[in-house]
Amino acid sequence: MSSNTTKSVQDKTYWRSLDHLAETPEFKELVEKEFPEGASELTNPVSRRKFLSLMGASMALAGLTSCRRPVEKIIPYVVKPEEIIPGKPQYYATNMPFGTQSFGLLVESHEGRPTKIEGNKNHPGTGGASNVFMQAEMLNLYDPDRSKLILKNGRASSWRAFTAVMKNELEKHQENGGEGLAVLTESFTSPTLKRLSEEFGRRYPKASWVSYDSISDENIQAGLTAASDNSALPGYDFSKAKVILSLDSDFMQMESDDLQNARGFASGRRVESEDDTMNRLYVVEGTYSLTGGMADHRLKVQSGQIATFTAALAGELAAQGLAIGAPEVNTSFDKEWLKAVVADLLANKGQSLIVAGKRQPAHVHTLVALINEILENSGSTVNYHENQDMIGSSLESLVSLTNDMRSGKIKTLVILGGNPAYQAPSDLKFAEALRRVAFTAQVSLQVDETAKHVDWHIPAAHFLESWGDVSGSGGAGIIQPLIAPLFDGKSAIEMAGVLLGNDEMSGYEMVQETWKGILGKNNFEKKWRRVVHDGYTDISRERAVAINKSRAQASVDASDYNSTPASPEKMEVVFTASFSNLDGRYANNGWMQELPDPITKVTWDNVALMSVNTANTLNVKNEKLVKIQKDQDEIILPVWILPGIADNTVVVELGFGRHVGRVSNGVGVDVNPLRKSTAPTFAAGFTVRRASGEHSIACVQDNHGLDEEKLASDAIQDRLPVIVRESTMDDYQRDPAFAMGLAEKEELRSMWVEHDYGEGNQWGMTIDLNTCSGCSACTIACQSENNIPIIGKEEVSNGRDMSWIRLDRYFSGDVEDPEMVFQPVACQHCEMAPCEGVCPVAATTHSSEGLNEMAYNRCIGTRYCSNNCPYKVRRFNFFNYSKDMPEIIQMAMNPDVSVRFRGVMEKCTYCVQRINVAKIEAKNDDRELVDGDITTACEQACPTNAIVFGNINDPESRVSKLKAQNRDYALLGELNVQPRTSYGAKLRNPNPALVDGGHADGGHA
Amino acid sequence: MSILNKKPERDPGAAEAVAGDELLVTGGHTFSSLTDKVSGIVEKKTPQQWYLLFAMAVSGLMVLLGSIGWLVWEGTGIWGLNNPVGWGWAIVNFVFWVGIGHAGTLISAILFLLRQQWRTAINRFAEAMTIFAVICALMFPGIHVGRVWLAYYMFPIPNQMLIWPNFRSPLLWDIFAVVTYFTVSTLFWYVGLIPDLATLRDRAKNLRKKVLGLFALGWRGGNRQWQHYEKAYLMLAGLATPLVLSVHSVVATDFATSLIPGWHTTIFPPYFVAGAVFSGFGMVMTLALIARKIYGLQDIITLNHLEKMNKIILVTGSMVGYSYIMEFFIAWYSGNEFEYFAFINRALGPYAWAYWIMFLCNVITPQIFWFKKLRRSIPVMFVASIFVNIGMWFERFVITVTSLSRDFLPSSWDYYTPSIWDMLTFIGSFGLFFTFFLLFLRFLPMVALAEVKGTLPEADPHNYHKEGGDK
Repeated sequence: MSSNTTKSVQDKTYWRSLDHLAETPEFKELVEKEFPEGASELTNPVSRRKFLSLMGASMALAGLTSCRRPVEKIIPYVVKPEEIIPGKPQYYATNMPFGTQSFGLLVESHEGRPTKIEGNKNHPGTGGASNVFMQAEMLNLYDPDRSKLILKNGRASSWRAFTAVMKNELEKHQENGGEGLAVLTESFTSPTLKRLSEEFGRRYPKASWVSYDSISDENIQAGLTAASDNSALPGYDFSKAKVILSLDSDFMQMESDDLQNARGFASGRRVESEDDTMNRLYVVEGTYSLTGGMADHRLKVQSGQIATFTAALAGELAAQGLAIGAPEVNTSFDKEWLKAVVADLLANKGQSLIVAGKRQPAHVHTLVALINEILENSGSTVNYHENQDMIGSSLESLVSLTNDMRSGKIKTLVILGGNPAYQAPSDLKFAEALRRVAFTAQVSLQVDETAKHVDWHIPAAHFLESWGDVSGSGGAGIIQPLIAPLFDGKSAIEMAGVLLGNDEMSGYEMVQETWKGILGKNNFEKKWRRVVHDGYTDISRERAVAINKSRAQASVDASDYNSTPASPEKMEVVFTASFSNLDGRYANNGWMQELPDPITKVTWDNVALMSVNTANTLNVKNEKLVKIQKDQDEIILPVWILPGIADNTVVVELGFGRHVGRVSNGVGVDVNPLRKSTAPTFAAGFTVRRASGEHSIACVQDNHGLDEEKLASDAIQDRLPVIVRESTMDDYQRDPAFAMGLAEKEELRSMWVEHDYGEGNQWGMTIDLNTCSGCSACTIACQSENNIPIIGKEEVSNGRDMSWIRLDRYFSGDVEDPEMVFQPVACQHCEMAPCEGVCPVAATTHSSEGLNEMAYNRCIGTRYCSNNCPYKVRRFNFFNYSKDMPEIIQMAMNPDVSVRFRGVMEKCTYCVQRINVAKIEAKNDDRELVDGDITTACEQACPTNAIVFGNINDPESRVSKLKAQNRDYALLGELNVQPRTSYGAKLRNPNPALVDGGHADGGHA
Repeated sequence: MSILNKKPERDPGAAEAVAGDELLVTGGHTFSSLTDKVSGIVEKKTPQQWYLLFAMAVSGLMVLLGSIGWLVWEGTGIWGLNNPVGWGWAIVNFVFWVGIGHAGTLISAILFLLRQQWRTAINRFAEAMTIFAVICALMFPGIHVGRVWLAYYMFPIPNQMLIWPNFRSPLLWDIFAVVTYFTVSTLFWYVGLIPDLATLRDRAKNLRKKVLGLFALGWRGGNRQWQHYEKAYLMLAGLATPLVLSVHSVVATDFATSLIPGWHTTIFPPYFVAGAVFSGFGMVMTLALIARKIYGLQDIITLNHLEKMNKIILVTGSMVGYSYIMEFFIAWYSGNEFEYFAFINRALGPYAWAYWIMFLCNVITPQIFWFKKLRRSIPVMFVASIFVNIGMWFERFVITVTSLSRDFLPSSWDYYTPSIWDMLTFIGSFGLFFTFFLLFLRFLPMVALAEVKGTLPEADPHNYHKEGGDK
C-alpha cells in the first residue's frame, strides 16, 4: 500500500448513502443490524445449520419470483500488475509483534490476500519455524467479529469526528504539560512507537505512559534489574547447555523466545547415533508443562515453593564449594535429588543453565542470575541485554494509574492496545475506574470488555494490515502490511500519531521517519527496501548488560525465599496463560479454541487442573464443578485431573469467559476474579470445595493411561513400549538397536509380486520423538495450509475432531509423578495401505510416488477406510462443516487445497499441493528436485525440526539418512502395512546418580 | 388330475393309511378344507387386529422415512458415529436384517433338498420374511454412506470417468452377494407362489381374478406344468442353497478381511452363517407363533413343526456359543496382545453389558431346548425366540462397535453412543418390515398350499393301495 492511498483515505470522508451523511437513526440502525454481535453460534452446528437451511429454503422460494443473480460487479484487471500471476502465490517478509518479543514472518499471499503465515527462514529468531500463535494470526486477521465501526458511546461515529474531539481534548492538556493525560499500551519493542512515546513525553512531560500485559516478563526484568543496575532481559543459548535446570519455566512453549529456546534445546538433544551425547534437563515445577514432559528428571514442587527451592539450590551449591551466599531456608525437598543436580551443574560449569519462569517473582530471577553468574554460564549459555525500543509491562504503574483514574486525577485516557478491563487484576476494578475518567478512547481489534466502558472505540488494524516495526535480539525489523485494513482499522502507531497532532501522517510515514534515524539518510530508499524485503536488519538495538554479582548478592534477602507449603485447607492457585487463548487475545479464534491443550487434550474450555491426590481429597472427578474461593471472591470451574501436578495446587488458565464474538461466547470461565495485583501469577490461601453439578468437557483423547479404568490403563501401559519406543542414553549405548528389536519380525515373504517403489521420487517422512516437545505448531500449520474446518465444541465432544496431524500424549510410570511423551500422528502413507483395499469405489489409491491419495470427488463416505486404518488418522466430514463459513474467513482458505464437502473422508496428503508446486517449478527450471525443495506445512512449522520430509529414494536426502539411523522405527510396523512415516525413538538422559540411587523419577521404567 | 379337483371329503381310512408316519397336518384336514382355510384368510373380511397392526407398521415406516429424510438433508453426523467408530447402528442393523433373511431360503431350499417335509408349513412366510428382511438390510448400506446421492458409484456401471468400483473391497462383494441373494430368493418365492396364486384365481371373480390370473402365469395344474414346475423348483433350490451359505460368509468378510483386532478373524464366515440361521429361525418362530394364533393355523403349523425349529435353534445357538468361546481361545493362543485385548475388552470393558446380554441371549437361552417339555411349550419358545432376536442384534453390535472403539492406538479410543436418529432408524426399519409382512399376510396365501397338500396322505399315489384294495 502506498502512502498516497492511505493519505487520501484520511483526507476525505466517504459516505455510503445520503442517509449516512445525514446520520439518520434509521441508517444507524441498519448499520448495527448489518453487523450484529454473535449472530450465529458456531458451537452448535445443528441449530446453526437448521437456521441456514431455513434461510436457504426461503432464498429458493424467493428465487421463484425473481431470478437472483450476483449483483456485485467483478472487474478484471485492465492493466495487470506486473508481479501478480493469478494462481501463483507471493511471499512477503514481515514481523509479528508479540508483547516484548517479535517473530519474523514470511506470509503467503494469493492475489493480494494473505493466506498462510510461516516463519522467516533467514530471521535469527524464528529461523523458519513458527508457534501456534503465529499460525493462528491468520484467522485473527479474518475474524468476522472484529470491530468494524468507530463507536462513540456505543454508537457509530467517524474517524473525522474522533480526531476533532481528540484534538480538542489534547489542547486542554497543552497548557498544563499533560497533567491528567495518560496513555496505556501493551508492552512492546517498537522503534517507532518508542520514538513517539518519547516525543509524547517531551510534549506532555506530566502525562503518564503506562504499559501493561497480564502475561509478561515483568518479573524477570525486575529481578535482573536488581542484579544488574539495568533493566535487562535474558537471552538463552540452550544449544551450548549440557545440563539445564528449569525452575517453573516452560521455556520451550510459553516463555519468551520459545522458538530459539526450543531450537537450541533440540540441537543439544538430537542424537544421530549411540556415540553422540545429549543434554540433560531437570525440571522443577508445580504445574505440568511441555518442558516438564521433556525432562530427564522432574521434581514437582508447588509454584509458591520454587523460591524456597532456589534458595535450597543455592545452599547446596554453597555446600558443594561454590562461593555463593545462600539465603537460609527451611526445606523438605529431596536431598538426594538436589545433591545430584548440583553435582551435575558443578561438573558442567559454563555449560549449564538455570532458567526460571516468568511466573516466578523477581527475587527468584535475581538469585538465578547470581547462580548462573557464579556457575560461569553467563556469556556462554545466557546473555543479558537491554532493548532501547522496549517498554515492558509494569503492574505497579498500572496500579498507580488506576488509582489516579479513580481519584479523578486522570482526565483523559487513551488506550493504544490491550484490554485492561479484562486483563487487569480484579482488585484494581479497572472498568469502574475507567468510568471515572472524563474522556477515554481505545483502539482495539474487538469490541471487547474495555470497549464497553470507553467513550470512543476505534477499530484496530491487524499487524498484517499496518505499518510498524519491531526490535529484538536478532535485530530490528519492519512490519509491512499484506493487505489494506479490512475494516478501516488504525494501528497503535497511527493512534499515537493522533496524540502528537500529526494525524495527517500515515503509519508508513511515521515508520519511515524512525528508520531514517536507524538506517541513516544516505541512500535511505535502497536500504529501506532491503529491510522491508528481508523483514529485518541485523542492526542491533540492544545493549549487552552484565550481572553485578555483589549487587545481586546484596539484594538477596532470606525472608523472600521462605514459604509455607499449600495445604488442602489453604490451596495454591496458579494462573497460567492459556495454551491456546494466551491472555484471551485468541479467544475468538476457532483454530485455537479447538486446538487441544497438548497435555490435558481439553478443547473449548478452561478447567481447574489438579493432581490425583488433590482430586481425591476434594472427592471430585473430571468434569465435576469446584468452587475456588478466597475472601469474597469465588469462581466455579470444572475439574480436570492431570497426573503430575503438585498436590494442593490448582492450575487455572487465563483468557476464557470472554464475549467478543461467535467463537468466544460462552467458552470457559474468567478466572480473573481470583487474580489480585498483589499476586497476579500464583497465590496461596484458597479454599477449594466441591460444588454441585458438572460441566461436560470436549476432550480429544481420553485420559486412560494411569487412572480410571484399570483394564484400559493396563493395556495401554502394556502396548506403550511398542507404540512409543523409548530408552535411556545409557541403555541405547548398550543396545543401539533397541528401537527396531521390539516388535518387528524378520522380512515377510510376499504372496505376490509387490509394487516396485524403487523408481523416481518416493516420499517419506521421519518424526523424531526425541526432539518433539508437543508444541502443536504442526497441528495449526496443517489446519491453516489444508483448510481444515472448525467444528465446534459439540462436534469435538462427539469425537469428530478434524486435525490431520494430531499429537498423541501418553503418560507412563507412577500416577503421582508420571513421565509424558508426545507422538505426532498423521497419515503414515502406508505402502500396503489397509484403507485402499477396502474402499468400494476406489476413492483412495496409491500414487506412483508412494502417496496415499484421496479423490474427494469419488468418495461416497462409507468410512470403511477409516475403520480399517490402524492409526485412525482419517477424518470424516460428518456435516458440511464449511457451509456457513463467514465470507471473510473464506479469505483465509488456501486456494491450492479444496474445501471438502460433507460425507467425504479427508486426511493428511503430505501436502501434495506443495509437492506439485515444487515439481512444476523444477520442471520449468529444467532441473531435478533437490532435497529441501518441498517442505510440508508441519515440517516447516516445527521449531525443533523433529519432522523431516523428503525423497526416500535419494540416499543423500535428510529423510533417508534419518531413516537409516538405528533409532528409526515404524509405528505398528508389525502389521506389515509398511508406513512411509517412521519415528525416531525417544531417549532420556537420566543422571546415573539418581537412577542408581533408586529414584524412579525420570528414569526409564 | 389337478389336486384342486380332488374330492372334498377326506377318506376316514386315510389317516390310518400312513400310520407309522407322523402326520404333518392335524385336525383331520382335507385338500379342500385346507384350501378354504388358507385362501379364506385373504378372501374374507380383514380382521380388526390386522388394521391395528398395519397402522402401527405404517407409523413405523413413516418414522423410517422421516429419519432417512433428515439423514440425507443433514448428513451422517446426526448419528452417534465418531472417529474411531465409523460404523454404528446402521451396519449393525444391516447385518442383523441380513441374518434374519437367512431362515427363509434355508427352510425352503436346503430343507427342500434334504426332503424335510415339515418345512412346508412355514416355508412360505419364512421366505416372505427373508425377502422383506433383505429389503430392510439392503437399505442400510445405501443410506449409511456420507453422500447418498452418489451411492450408485458402488455399482459397476460403465461411465464417462472410466472408473470401475474396487473389486478388492469386501463392501463390493457384499453388494453382489446380497443383491444376488435377494434376486434368487425372490424368484424362488415367486415360483413357489404360482400354484397357490392359481388356486386363489380360481376362487376369485372380476378384476381380482384378472390380476391374480396375470401373476399366476396361466397355471392350470396340468401334469406337464407340474413336471416342469418341480424341475424348476428343484433347480432354484439348488441355486439358492450355496447362496444361503455365501451371503453371510461374504458379509462376514466385511469384518474378517480388515485388520482391526476383533474383526480380523478367520472364524467369521461359518460363525456368521450359524448366527444368521440362528437369528432367522428366531424371527420365523416369533412371527409364526403370532400368525398361527391370529389366523388359527394350529393344525397346519403344529407343535411338531415348532419343536423341530427349536431343535435347529438349539443347534445353531450352540454353534454360535462355540464360536464365542473359540474366539477367546484363539485370541489368547495367538499371543497377539491387540487381539487378546479386543476380546478381554468385550467381556470386561465399557461394553461388557452388551457382551453379556449377547452371551446370555444367544448361548444360555437356547439351552433350555434340551428339555422336551420346554421345547413344546408355546410361551417358553415365544420368549426364547424374542431373546434370540435381541441377542443376535447385540452380537452384531458387539462385533462392530467394541472392536472399533478400542483398536491399536489408545490415543484414538472413544466410546460410541447412539443418537436418537440411530434408534428411530432402527425402529423404523421394523415398520418397513412389518408393513410388507402384513400386506403379504393380507393378500397372499401365507402357507404353501400346494406343498402342504403334498404332505397329506391323499397325495401319496399309493395311499389308496395301502389297505390292499381300491376304493
